Amino acid sequence: MALFRIDPITKKRFRRFRKIKRGWYSLILLITMVVVSLFSEYIANDRAIMVYYQGEIFFPTWKFNQMDKFNQMDDFGLTDVEADYRLLREQFEAAELPEAEVQPFFEAKGYESYYAELLAEQVKEQGTGNWIVMPPIPYNPIKSDFNYEEPPPNAPDGRHILGTDGQGRDVFARLLYGFRISVFFSLAVVLFSLFIGTILGCLQGYIAGWFDILSQRGIEIWSTLPFLYVVIILSLLFSPSFLLLVIVMVLFQWMGITFYMRTEMYREKTREYCLAAKSMGAGHTRIVFKHLLPNALVPLVTLAPFMIVGGIFALTSLDYLGYGLPAPTPSWGELIEQSLVTTNRDKLWLSLSPFGAIAITLTLFTLVGESIREAFDPKQYAKYE
Amino acid sequence: MIKTLLTTAAALLLTVTLSAQDAEVADAPKEVDISKLEWTTNWDDPPIGDPENAIRGGTFHDYITAYPLTFRLFGPNSNDSFAGYNRSFHHDRFTLVAMHPTTQNWIPVLANEWSIQDDNRTIFFRLNTDAHWSDGEPIKASDYEFAFEMLSNEKLLKTPFYPQYMRDFFESVEAIGDDVVKIVGTRTSWRPLYNYNFWPMPEHAIQFDEEWIDRDNYTPPVVAGPFTISGWETGNSVEYSRIDSWWGDKHHYYRGMYNPDKIALRVINDSDRAPDYFQKGELSQLLINTARIWAENMDFDAMEKGWAHRRRLFVEVPQGIYGIIMNLKEPIFQNKDFRKALQHLVNFDEMNSKLMHNAYYRQISSFYGTPFANPDLEMYDYNPLKARQHLMKAGFSKRGSDGILSKEDGTRAEFTLTYGSKGLERHLTLVQQTFKRAGVQMNLRLLEPGTAFANGMEKSFEALLFNRTANFYPDPHQYFSCETADKLQTNNNWSFCNEEVDELIEVYRFGDDADERVAAMHRIDEIVHDEAFIIPFWTGPFVRFVYWDYVEYPEFYYPRMTEQLMDYQVYWINPDKKKALEAAMKENRSYGKDPVVDIDPYDVQAKLEAQAKVAGGGE
Repeated sequence: MALFRIDPITKKRFRRFRKIKRGWYSLILLITMVVVSLFSEYIANDRAIMVYYQGEIFFPTWKFNQMDKFNQMDDFGLTDVEADYRLLREQFEAAELPEAEVQPFFEAKGYESYYAELLAEQVKEQGTGNWIVMPPIPYNPIKSDFNYEEPPPNAPDGRHILGTDGQGRDVFARLLYGFRISVFFSLAVVLFSLFIGTILGCLQGYIAGWFDILSQRGIEIWSTLPFLYVVIILSLLFSPSFLLLVIVMVLFQWMGITFYMRTEMYREKTREYCLAAKSMGAGHTRIVFKHLLPNALVPLVTLAPFMIVGGIFALTSLDYLGYGLPAPTPSWGELIEQSLVTTNRDKLWLSLSPFGAIAITLTLFTLVGESIREAFDPKQYAKYE
Repeated sequence: MIKTLLTTAAALLLTVTLSAQDAEVADAPKEVDISKLEWTTNWDDPPIGDPENAIRGGTFHDYITAYPLTFRLFGPNSNDSFAGYNRSFHHDRFTLVAMHPTTQNWIPVLANEWSIQDDNRTIFFRLNTDAHWSDGEPIKASDYEFAFEMLSNEKLLKTPFYPQYMRDFFESVEAIGDDVVKIVGTRTSWRPLYNYNFWPMPEHAIQFDEEWIDRDNYTPPVVAGPFTISGWETGNSVEYSRIDSWWGDKHHYYRGMYNPDKIALRVINDSDRAPDYFQKGELSQLLINTARIWAENMDFDAMEKGWAHRRRLFVEVPQGIYGIIMNLKEPIFQNKDFRKALQHLVNFDEMNSKLMHNAYYRQISSFYGTPFANPDLEMYDYNPLKARQHLMKAGFSKRGSDGILSKEDGTRAEFTLTYGSKGLERHLTLVQQTFKRAGVQMNLRLLEPGTAFANGMEKSFEALLFNRTANFYPDPHQYFSCETADKLQTNNNWSFCNEEVDELIEVYRFGDDADERVAAMHRIDEIVHDEAFIIPFWTGPFVRFVYWDYVEYPEFYYPRMTEQLMDYQVYWINPDKKKALEAAMKENRSYGKDPVVDIDPYDVQAKLEAQAKVAGGGE
């Protein structure tokens, strides 16, 4: 726990950071966005959040429910496929109407008359008094909505606030889920690379000598591998998954951190407190973890937000190039790729939405990073010490 | 995108096709007395173009996507976007014999007559003595010998393709006197003219030595066709000029073709910008490859005013098998009901209308575009209810908590589709959704095209996006025989084996009766269709193009077997119309929009639409 003990300097830094308003608010906003994105399934989904049906309450978000559970039947007469909750909402609405108006109600919604008749019958069986809570965006990021006259992509309207993409999928839903994936991907990459980079960097700086020289050369050789090509080759040979991409990214990201940690260690280990600890007979582990590491963490904290930015950007680029997560994973890069297809160049919502999302997210992270760096800047508080 | 895919597949396929030639090696050919040969010819088919109406003269403007790295027809770098044009004036078209692109009969070109020997691999050709090179020299029998030596010489040619082709197909090419060529193929073949057709090279014009590649890099080649390169501006343009008196002008089949005096090719690096050049009047005719451009960007000014026209000409070109295929070695696909269920779960109409502007047609037959395709096959219609019944029969009766079906023993209805084409991802994710709704989980696995292809050849896949090119004579032995079913590196990627099909393949390969052969193939087609291990995708059986009012065509526009617009150059330029158009454009006078778009002289569209109706009405 020593590692995370909050010492007065850290507290002071944190206070400083809070005073830098743009960074502080960006952080709050970011944390809110990340937390909100954890509940994406309740924000944009074609499954209802809650259904009250004939005295029973259902929570379908994480559970598959067949159509016959709600007395639904599709236009092919199937009852064991997944319930259609958007339709169910319409049916519950229609149930409140006088019986003669039910069928016209569905016909007005664009259903063919034979199916509208069928739906009206279902409504009768369903009875009244049922209700349903749908997510604010009742669309799933993967399923297509082809109920427009025009082929997709369709421009933003009341149904899809940011329009649909080339396959008729809701752009907002894809952005939302894409955000969650990008951010957690990036966090995973940053955490693992920090872990590896810190350990190796510390060892280099602390053990020094031959170990340092050899591992440095090793890193130099490793770092000449062209990252992008390796990712491309790997993702072509093995179908890329979240884990594989994280591993590959980590393989190339940890090196930068060793440089910082190594120099920090070289500097810190010659300081008096370290010599003092040594002379009192402290072991290497104790010296490194209890004394040196807490003092050497500053570059990591200031670096982390920028690394997250890099991670998001890398995933987006890979998706854009088509070497990222497999289809149909919601992804920003894939949206950008769609928007840059020649024939989609006039479909502004396709380009503005992902670009806007990237710009906002990256700006927020950068503002946080900037502010942390400013808060940790030793020049400003050096005079108080 | 389908085009690129095809090229990739074709390149990879080549090795396979070449090595997996049908028929065994025959006995040594007997000595033959030439004076006693029985000669065959065919002068009865109509000319390819329209000699009655065609007008000679004018300049035709077209484009290439890159400046040629060489003008050579062979050797390094001779396979770029310019090569299509360059070859259309030599060995792509001007061979000993050719298949008439509309009637599909063999017609004489550089040879007037031919005589196929009983061994079905020795052919004598009596040359057309009128034929001459573009520099005026006559085309002699020895030019064929030279071509064979030249193209077999890998050391000087420096590219492996043609030497390999020569080794695989030709045992010898021999000149007998000045006007007879004897060609001996490597194996017996029931389609010897198709396999052992050849072309000459001008021995007098090529000094074939170590320096040949550099010396001839930018030397306009001497060819058998009507156009030679007459000018070029490095990086920007190449110009072809018609030779003065071309032998083909007196040839029954070639009269009325190759009409302009000049063909000006400009370099437009970005094909997407070609429509802009066309609209400015800098191209005479333009092939439109993209369905979306065809559907959405065809309302420019010149089109609205009737100065330019657009045509979608339905043609009939053999198409290879294209679609999702299932590996019959995988337990899940061993059940025919499961396979049929998947067939009923592809909503092609929705895909076509929502993603492809209704431009395409389902490619039902495995031998599409050839006389061997069974015309009576009916497409599996999109019907989740039928699919459900098949799934039940296949034992998938339980729905899991994620909605995916499974058998009593716990086997899930789940498989992985391997594919190599990013461009098809949007179609595949749609298929994935309909599958999923019906309780079948299809995972998508995108691989690099070459790796995906290799996985197919290694049979290491569950389901695969399969795409092959085809030629006029399908080869069911490679695709559907038991002999290839258990072998790797064959086109029988699905491991299909069926005794009846094997017998039918024998009939097709070695039968003497043409009708029986066709009947056998129709039956194979039917069996394969019923076995349902190929979910066929779609084909665009047409060429779509726009052209300015001054370009004119025969009534049928282009021959039946047109793939690229430069394949059969039957158009001409009408100078009067050109002047009139210039005047009209100056005065901004509209001709009125041309309402005609679709042209179907070969009844291809009619047939396809009738089939589609059958499929839709098959409730």
